[in-house]
Amino acid sequence: MSTPEGVTISRTGEAGAFGGELLTVNFGPHHPSTHGVLRLIVDLDGEQVRSVKPVIGYLHTGIEKQMEALRWQQGVVVTDRHDYLSPPINNLAYALAVEKLLGVDVPPRANALRVIMSELTRLSSHLVWMGTSGLELGAMSMLMYCFRERDTILDMNEEISGFRMHTSYIRPGGVMADATPRFLEMLEAFIRAMPGHVDEYEELLTMNPIWRSRTIGIGRLSAEDAKVLGATGPMLRGSGVAWDLRRAIPYSGYEDYDFEVATSDLCDCYGRYLVRIKEMRESVKILRQALDRLPDGPVNVDDRKILPPPREELETSMEAVIHHFKLFTEGYSVPPGDVYVAVESGRGENGCYVVSDGTHKPRRVKFRSASFVNLQALERMALNHMIADMIAIIGTADAVLGDVDR
Amino acid sequence: MISENLILDRGVSAGDAWMTVDPADIRQALSTLKDGGYRLLVFLTCVDHLVDASRSFPARYELVYELRDMDRPEHLRVRAFVDGDPPRIDSVHDLFPPANWEERETYDMFGVVFNDHPDLTRILMPDDWVGHPLRRDYPVGGEVVEFSEEHEIWQTAPDKA
Repeated sequence: MSTPEGVTISRTGEAGAFGGELLTVNFGPHHPSTHGVLRLIVDLDGEQVRSVKPVIGYLHTGIEKQMEALRWQQGVVVTDRHDYLSPPINNLAYALAVEKLLGVDVPPRANALRVIMSELTRLSSHLVWMGTSGLELGAMSMLMYCFRERDTILDMNEEISGFRMHTSYIRPGGVMADATPRFLEMLEAFIRAMPGHVDEYEELLTMNPIWRSRTIGIGRLSAEDAKVLGATGPMLRGSGVAWDLRRAIPYSGYEDYDFEVATSDLCDCYGRYLVRIKEMRESVKILRQALDRLPDGPVNVDDRKILPPPREELETSMEAVIHHFKLFTEGYSVPPGDVYVAVESGRGENGCYVVSDGTHKPRRVKFRSASFVNLQALERMALNHMIADMIAIIGTADAVLGDVDR
Repeated sequence: MISENLILDRGVSAGDAWMTVDPADIRQALSTLKDGGYRLLVFLTCVDHLVDASRSFPARYELVYELRDMDRPEHLRVRAFVDGDPPRIDSVHDLFPPANWEERETYDMFGVVFNDHPDLTRILMPDDWVGHPLRRDYPVGGEVVEFSEEHEIWQTAPDKA
């Protein structure tokens, strides 16, 4: 959070290219188009941007420190909350990391449910992005359309996990509970309806002259720059690099699904929009396959050292009572070592680096958040653009400030 | 690819390949690896091994550089152990641009000083914050709460970083 003190607007004394003087302007942190509390200190020459300095930390909640004070299974609840638009994907990264250290593999049905939840989350995250970005750039009705479908997804979250947003559904060792028949019916109806809804969004935006003139050619990021700056997700694919962790380093059985990696060679805000639209269609395709091939069987590993025994066993088995007691008082211990697992979230590589010292609490948990790294490319994209285009550029970077600050 | 005399130790942890290098050689090691294909720094962080009885470590602070070769795709973790007050290591922000903010965060949270970093200031915590919160001797709940009835009890942040 390092800044020159009290900057609002000040003259720099440097001459600009148009005969004026460079002005330093404070953009945010409470500006609604900054998607949270992002503060930018912008040097302006007339209306042109000459330098951008992001200031972050306004949403820092100490999640990594908190994780060290919680037992392994308790940490799941905290992971929901850093990237608050994709909780199940955060859960998944943490769960996969802990499982890799423990050396356990979850049953096929759990993997399929994890894929279903990940794709639903990706859809809801892209819907929030499209709704708010449309709102900022003058397409007011987008928010209504996008939040209509997002609400259906939140209803499904509620049906399967009991929570609408912070689901904590995916846990080390499996998932919280099996999918209910009603959830599967809701999912079936959603998969049937969603492609038509995506067509609707495209009708509203893809050929919309205002949307096109505000995004085409704005915020260019070449493929080489995107790679060097470490950008991931739609930022990288919008620059024409076909890199998707679901394809490159598959996890949770993504190698068995047939989907295309969406890319666009436009390298601008419009390209990133096209990538997200395509990704929504591909997510629906993955959901279709996952639902059709949903295997039967348990949704949790059969290991009493990691997950509690079923309720009915507690009445007949002394051993089950002991396991139950140990798990809820002490928790389980994870063998010493460290591991890094990355999953593809709606905004890029969402990784989890976990260090265990062999006790019942993690020694260190580091979240590699896509937003934090993608935000560093902001200056490269915004340079020499008009200040009004900053809105489009921040929008399509799709940084979630909770994810940036953790 | 990387000359063997730079590597102090190497192994595999839960399927992830890693190597340890001398902190003095970190720039040389990382630039050799970068030329060898590991062009992306996925993340950079620090682990505080204060009173960790499970294994033996050469020093208290372990800096972790996770590298990726996107063509193969392959991961490699590079570790460097540093000690001292404050612990110091060379910055790699010019080799890997994403390291710029990551190094600021590591400085903010652990107090590790990166030599030759262009703007080594706090990034997540306020500028006037005392201490480095992710160190293991920094208590959870160590935040000073003004106007709290338990003001004295809560003032548990260490005096100096």
